[in-house]
Amino acid sequence: MTSTRLIHTVGTGALEWLHAHRDGFRLEQDVDPEVGFLERFKPVGELAVICKVLFREGVAGSRQAQLARQLLDHAWGHVLDGGRVLVRGQRIEPLSPVPFEVYLPFKELGFSNPEIERAFRRVQRLESFAALEMPSVRRLGLSAVQRRYGLPPRPPESEVVAGTWLGRTPEPWTVEGHIAYDITHTVFHLTDWGENPDGLPAPLADYLAVWLPVWLDDWLDLQRWDLLGELLVVDACLPRPTLDERAWEGFAAAQQPDGAMPAVRTMPQGDPDEVFDVVYHPTLVAAFASVLATSRALTQLAHAPA
Amino acid sequence: MEQSSTSTPLTGAVQGLASELASALRSGGRFRLAAGIPDVHGAEANAGLALAAVRVVGADAVLPSVLRRAPAEADDLALFGRAVHIYPPAADASPVSVWSHWAMKQTLRRLDAPSGGGSDRAAEAGPEAEPQVAWLADVPWQVLTHQLALLAPLAVPEADCAVADVARDRPVDVARGFVRAVRRRDWLQAAGAGRWLVLLDGVPATLGLGAGLEFVAHMGGDDPRVALQVEAARHLQAGARP
Repeated sequence: MTSTRLIHTVGTGALEWLHAHRDGFRLEQDVDPEVGFLERFKPVGELAVICKVLFREGVAGSRQAQLARQLLDHAWGHVLDGGRVLVRGQRIEPLSPVPFEVYLPFKELGFSNPEIERAFRRVQRLESFAALEMPSVRRLGLSAVQRRYGLPPRPPESEVVAGTWLGRTPEPWTVEGHIAYDITHTVFHLTDWGENPDGLPAPLADYLAVWLPVWLDDWLDLQRWDLLGELLVVDACLPRPTLDERAWEGFAAAQQPDGAMPAVRTMPQGDPDEVFDVVYHPTLVAAFASVLATSRALTQLAHAPA
Repeated sequence: MEQSSTSTPLTGAVQGLASELASALRSGGRFRLAAGIPDVHGAEANAGLALAAVRVVGADAVLPSVLRRAPAEADDLALFGRAVHIYPPAADASPVSVWSHWAMKQTLRRLDAPSGGGSDRAAEAGPEAEPQVAWLADVPWQVLTHQLALLAPLAVPEADCAVADVARDRPVDVARGFVRAVRRRDWLQAAGAGRWLVLLDGVPATLGLGAGLEFVAHMGGDDPRVALQVEAARHLQAGARP
């Protein structure tokens, strides 16, 4: 069985790196507003999601909890300017779901900006918002966001899931990188980022229990650490996580001494901001996978016969 | 990870034999082992090459007779028997090599006794007792599938040996190995694993085995060894058509 210490250490290292490089979570103030102001919102939202998972699972040490709290305060107070940047972004692209998605984990953690909430309640009532064209896995994420705001999801998640790749449980030997990311995100949305493993319908959980080991084996050998990390999160969302020893050992070995996780194979070289943009995501994923898997390992320990 | 197409004389002879076999299975036409190998009665070197190719292809060299439950021609059997006898496994041979040779001996005995008797496993014990199977018992699913694919000639109707027992106990693991092989474009391994899977109960329906075999044939069928395994699998799937 995989050492819980090894799994836990991946997360502590990742959080140290994220904290030390928190200035990388930055917005491009001078970017052409028509182009990509909202693009740089996503990392901030992902950071908040992972910190929320960390607080929720209760497996963080006091040092980790402190780093996570400081990261959140930095992201909310400094990067998002108390949410005012989200309001601005929403005014640039009124129909974009991104500001609302980024705001949600902050709201759930106790941060608040009533203006962005009012805007979301108005926008999500529009027929146009429900009609926005997007892949099913993306729509599933928006329905989950509506539910978590306390609004009726349009359409209900149970309807959307049937249209996702995973929802149709297709031939597992056709999976490639893009499909694999669609699978992981379908699981993230259905389980509220691992909070509610029961949100994964039984046929999908059964399907994943059979085929996930193959995909873990594959992307480990391909050294695709970002995707492997997401697949390790999926494993931790299953009714009986395998905490796959070979995958976790390979994942841990890929992590740098300073805690950074390369996206693919080895660390990129170059301008620090560019390096941050490449590795922040796999490093966040490493923290996410570590926290969830540590939590599941402790649960298994608690249920093991004495 | 494509199969290499290096052409040593032996590789060429193996490809040629596999191609003849695949085409006989596909068309339902007659297959003559002794005729299928060019120059078998020619120069000694060519005859040696032909026998070596039969040893590499293993029990599948007479697969049409096995699947059709039809008696083999005497000179085919004689050639097959010579390959069995001049290539005994070395003392340090791998388990796969030992089992592959055992499969040939077993097949030779069955085809030599067309009365249909003697299929009782107990009756075949004794000097031809099965090799040991411990090496396969607890291996990870990746290794299991790789080894089973190398031993695909054992995947025949009424497959009744310890290797088949291991496969029957682990259908999900063999299915995982099939997915792994397709993902890695190891079409020969995928085809061999697929051939086993058509014989197993408990294969997850979500595997999509039928479409998977079609895919393997489409992507890897240029290699006659792949085509042979896919054709074998189709025959097994159809219940060993007469």
